[in-house]
Amino acid sequence: MPYHEFDCSKVIPERKQHAVVKGEGEDLTSCLPKGYLNTIPGSISERGCAYCGAKHVIGTPMKDVIHISHGPVGCTYDTWQTKRYISDNNNFQLKYTFATDVKEKHIVFGAESLLKQNILEAFDAFPEIKRMTIYQTCATALIGDDINAIADEVMAERPDVDIFVCNSPGFAGPSQSGGHHKINIAWINQKVGTLEPEITSDYVINYVGEYNIQGDQEVMQDYFKRMGIQVLSTFTGNGSYDDLRAMHRAHLNVLECARSAEYICDELRARYGIPRLDIDGFGFQALGDSLRKIGLFFGIEERAEAIIAEETARWKPELDWYAARLKGKKVCLWPGGSKLWHWANAIQEEMGVKVVSVYTKFGHQGDMEKGIARAGVGTLAIDDPNELEGHEALETLKPDVIFTGKRPGEVAKKKRVPYLNAHAYHNGPYKGFEGWVRFARDIYNAVYSPMHQLSGIDISKDDYATDKGFVTRRMLSDANLPEADRASPLTGYTGPFDPIAALRAKTDADYPQFERKTSTQAAE
Amino acid sequence: MAGFKKEKPASRANYPKLYASDPLAGFDEATREKVSAMEDYIMKNCLWQFNSRGWDRRKQNEGILGKTTKLLVGEEVENETPLEKCYWVDAVLLSRAFRARCAWLAGMGKDEVQALMKILHARIDWLTIDGSLNEELTVQNY
Ligand code: SF4
Repeated sequence: MPYHEFDCSKVIPERKQHAVVKGEGEDLTSCLPKGYLNTIPGSISERGCAYCGAKHVIGTPMKDVIHISHGPVGCTYDTWQTKRYISDNNNFQLKYTFATDVKEKHIVFGAESLLKQNILEAFDAFPEIKRMTIYQTCATALIGDDINAIADEVMAERPDVDIFVCNSPGFAGPSQSGGHHKINIAWINQKVGTLEPEITSDYVINYVGEYNIQGDQEVMQDYFKRMGIQVLSTFTGNGSYDDLRAMHRAHLNVLECARSAEYICDELRARYGIPRLDIDGFGFQALGDSLRKIGLFFGIEERAEAIIAEETARWKPELDWYAARLKGKKVCLWPGGSKLWHWANAIQEEMGVKVVSVYTKFGHQGDMEKGIARAGVGTLAIDDPNELEGHEALETLKPDVIFTGKRPGEVAKKKRVPYLNAHAYHNGPYKGFEGWVRFARDIYNAVYSPMHQLSGIDISKDDYATDKGFVTRRMLSDANLPEADRASPLTGYTGPFDPIAALRAKTDADYPQFERKTSTQAAE
Repeated sequence: MAGFKKEKPASRANYPKLYASDPLAGFDEATREKVSAMEDYIMKNCLWQFNSRGWDRRKQNEGILGKTTKLLVGEEVENETPLEKCYWVDAVLLSRAFRARCAWLAGMGKDEVQALMKILHARIDWLTIDGSLNEELTVQNY
């Protein structure tokens, strides 16, 4: 096994099994780090807790819901507003956060009555919201508070409200991934099948593992609607609580982030016979193939082809403009879980960059299999990295840019390596054809930022030019370009600052109306 | 919660092992090159071979590569259930990609294509199931 041992982790020998370098001739049977294990003591991990994974990643993007944490206010604070999962109802779920504010005395005397009081107050404060999710935390789990009993009591007293209880305290798994699992299974057990939806199309999907980061879900939903497909529910970005209770009526589950949401797809397949189709919404080729597959499944492939042709004609030249300027740039692809495989091949093929390292904070070995399969020879793959390993890798690999979360990202900046936010994005959405160009623009702006060049000069001791003005990104990026590329009349991305506003302004009249078949024909 | 089937297939954890070593190892250079080109495409562009459990991967590989073979040799593909149709969707994309990238396929006879696809299937099973280092493949639940 081509394990990689970091100098800084020699004092934690078990860490060696968590990093590999993919060598010439290596494949998945000889090159795979350990994964989804408890963090080794002494390693300062970048992971979150299982409560965070359940609430922050999956629960809270649901838009028409009061999301309440039962526990100390600190847990809630750490899961509030740090991700950009916007929604088309004025971001209710981002603007308001709720916690029962458990204190020492509640640990001694119990916090169930406090919870009930909080639930009632929250519903009274927002009378138009009738749905709630409640999250267990470490402290309240340890004292044995029965959240389900309180939720049942409230639902009996107020028949117009519906409450979902998520028992995933912080210690319920090695990382946030344990929480993803728990909330997936809890949702299908408690809520799926409790509401019958209105079916408006012959082609009905659940869009699963999609969190509407800066509008990703709305971009993809627009494509689906242009194909005449009903998105019955989105699990969970911009998703509605009641739509998600009706997931059992879809014809197909279209799965985007398998890391966080494959469990519910697998269970929907086992319990209701709904197939699971894994897709990639990132990258022209992968997205095009994804739309084709969905089209094929329903026998409407030509509708997918029309969208692909239109979008490619509009956006491909702008993507190519960036690709010419990003060729050969070294990237550390260091996201949380799924983006290491969503992006690894697409950014190399379509933007010309070279992925020199992939890592995952909370992924399983299955994610590493996908990531390593898609990365090239020489790639350093790290599971559950610690901060010092990140430092060491930046020094040895010398990447031009890294894609990661904001904590390691800000550290990288101090080492003068530009970073892009892989979780919440910089100027997203990144999904969709236009989104992929926006991602390329962000990479370009990061790699060629004149600020990064200037930040390397210490004016107290270094020589610096006094006869030159400020350089621009374009001067830096085009200096060594072939003449043909430099002569291009394009200037990069020409879309609007906010591409989501136009999508939200669309009405049913803006989408093609397709004649419906009978329900029997459609199911065939 | 009414209306769903609770029982789980007993085969979940105890799927049989098929290969004890790399099934590609004994073949000639030309065959290995062809299989590697197809394998490379699958590994870089597909996700279906990486479902989380071993028994599930076995079904996925068989479903999709089986249908891909039929499409490549011009046999009719039956899709009696939505699950079968879902395999077929991935198979259609895969067969198109193979035809576009592997020009040598056009010059091969039906038997040769079937034999080659059998080796590819064995190799993908080896990489993703029987030779896999993924310790979660035998977990019983999802
Ligand atoms: S580990 Fe426990 S106490 Fe800490 S944030 Fe998570 S739920 Fe709260």
